[in-house]
Amino acid sequence: MNVLSIGLLYGGATIAVMFAGIPIAFALGTVAIIFMFFFMPHASLDTVTQNVYEEMASITLLSIPLFILKGAAIGRSRAGADLYSALHVWLYRIPGGLGIANVFACGLFAAMAGSSPATCSAIGSAGIPEMRKRGYSPGFAAGIIAAGGTLGILLPPSITMILYAVASEQSLGRLFLSGITPGLLLVSLFALYATLRYRTERRSAVRDFAAHGRTSSLLSEERYTLREKFAYAPRVLPFVLLLTGVMIALYGGYATPSETAGLGALLALFLIALIYFVWKPTDLQPILAATLRESTMLMMIIGMSLLYSYVMSYLHISQSAAETIVAAGFSRWVLLAMILVFVVVLGFFLPPVSIILMTAPIILPPLKAAGFDLIWFGIVMTIVMELGLIHPPVGLNIFVIRNIAPDIPLGEVIWGIMPFVGLMIFAVVLLCLVPQIATWLPDVIMGPR
Amino acid sequence: MLHQGDAALDIKASPVPQRPATPAIALMQRMLDGIHRIVVAAASLALVAAAVVLSESVLVRYFYRSSNDWQDETSVMLLVGAIFMSAAYVQSVRGHVAIEAVAELLSPATDWWRVLFADGVSLGFCLFFAWKAWTLTHEAWVDGQEMASTLASPLWIPYSLMAAGMSLLGLQIAVQILAAVFDRPAR
Repeated sequence: MNVLSIGLLYGGATIAVMFAGIPIAFALGTVAIIFMFFFMPHASLDTVTQNVYEEMASITLLSIPLFILKGAAIGRSRAGADLYSALHVWLYRIPGGLGIANVFACGLFAAMAGSSPATCSAIGSAGIPEMRKRGYSPGFAAGIIAAGGTLGILLPPSITMILYAVASEQSLGRLFLSGITPGLLLVSLFALYATLRYRTERRSAVRDFAAHGRTSSLLSEERYTLREKFAYAPRVLPFVLLLTGVMIALYGGYATPSETAGLGALLALFLIALIYFVWKPTDLQPILAATLRESTMLMMIIGMSLLYSYVMSYLHISQSAAETIVAAGFSRWVLLAMILVFVVVLGFFLPPVSIILMTAPIILPPLKAAGFDLIWFGIVMTIVMELGLIHPPVGLNIFVIRNIAPDIPLGEVIWGIMPFVGLMIFAVVLLCLVPQIATWLPDVIMGPR
Repeated sequence: MLHQGDAALDIKASPVPQRPATPAIALMQRMLDGIHRIVVAAASLALVAAAVVLSESVLVRYFYRSSNDWQDETSVMLLVGAIFMSAAYVQSVRGHVAIEAVAELLSPATDWWRVLFADGVSLGFCLFFAWKAWTLTHEAWVDGQEMASTLASPLWIPYSLMAAGMSLLGLQIAVQILAAVFDRPAR
């Protein structure tokens, strides 16, 4: 049997077992073992567990559970709501300030917690009711939170980027830094849109008032005293310091990424104990159990994805697929567009973890051959995968919004999100035109490559 | 379409599975739940211990200018152990992500067969993996294999945690299959 036939069979078998509803980790492991049995020396079956262990026993990969612990500790406390309230009282005078406060709160919280759905839930549960109370349309409010939540996998520390760094053999520190400016670009685009949309909705409310005398909460004025503005500082500042401290530890050369994860997790647990009195075993148990659930689920997928990729490489499937793509002679931008569309389609069914580990051996060599910087591509790919978080048919963040605000019709949520999808596509185009948006910061801090 | 879990949220597309109705299977599940509680407590401690060990590494390096490599190795063992040992607990709440797109298209009776097939394949995989992991543990024990580091911890420790975790996972899936077969509603 030639490589093409084996490759097609491998892909077909993977699709069949995955769509049968077998958990992704076990499905990948099963396909890998079956192909090892039929197409590889039988002795390779004896090394299955050793392979998985050796791939997983990487301290960089094993920092993921600790980053998740940090996110869970912050996400389950009132830190998100407090952060949002603090930003709101400072930004309320800007047109659309409430929307902007929500976007900023999402960005900051995402950087602290590192999880998109957690950001959506923590900021959205306070932000969506508040925005609706102030007259924002439900779809607009939902869109801001769903899109703001996606910043969780772009701003460091991002689990998606840890995996990309491992799969592409790129520097994790450089990758983390590369995500910051595009993350800030998205925050700015979202905030700008929030201002423009607020103005449109307010103008419409003014017209409605003039024509029919119907008043809207959008027309009401609010004031906060300086005392109120500083009231939230003691609760929010420690978390912002944690965020900056962790970044200084990482980029100041004091700690490796895994040590940063451990330190961040421990400090987050310390802060929620100090500020929110979450310290009893009964308080901590749900945080730790939830961390174990997500970490185990993710790490099992990672371990089996790596076994799956190993088999794909041993059977020369990934190399042949990569060579075929290179030999097809696509122009570099067509190649990039095709790969990004492929990633978007995969995102309909698979979590980013599996997409990265399963596709990296196939898509990265042609991109490298076409002259693309793999750090830059990691950022573009991450934004494209972010789209999958808010885009139907899966859109994990849409489920979160439905949990927080079940009375907002699904159609309205989706329409509210669509402008943000457009902004994210615009950001991808901008990154393609000006790659330095992603690469300048690591070049300045860590030196050019 | 995805079963997706999230630490901060407990989002789940699928509901937590119902407890078995058949007394013998319910007893097995209760026993497993007891084991899961102990394992989750131990794995939680391992998680926090790994965070402490890695933080200690930063502080020792900063204050005493000394570099050790036992911290990485210890953390790896703690985390690998926590992850594999918790796999069965995660399965007990159906927390392993799966594509559920087809389920929406099938009748309940056909979907019952699909779930049984999915669990059967998962069980086969876990049993195979557990068998190979026990073999690996035995080899590491007999040959006195050690990690390639200055601490040189015995490799049978992480291997045995991997083997025990996958065995427990297999047992959990087997009980879920039994529950599905014996508790199947009469048509």
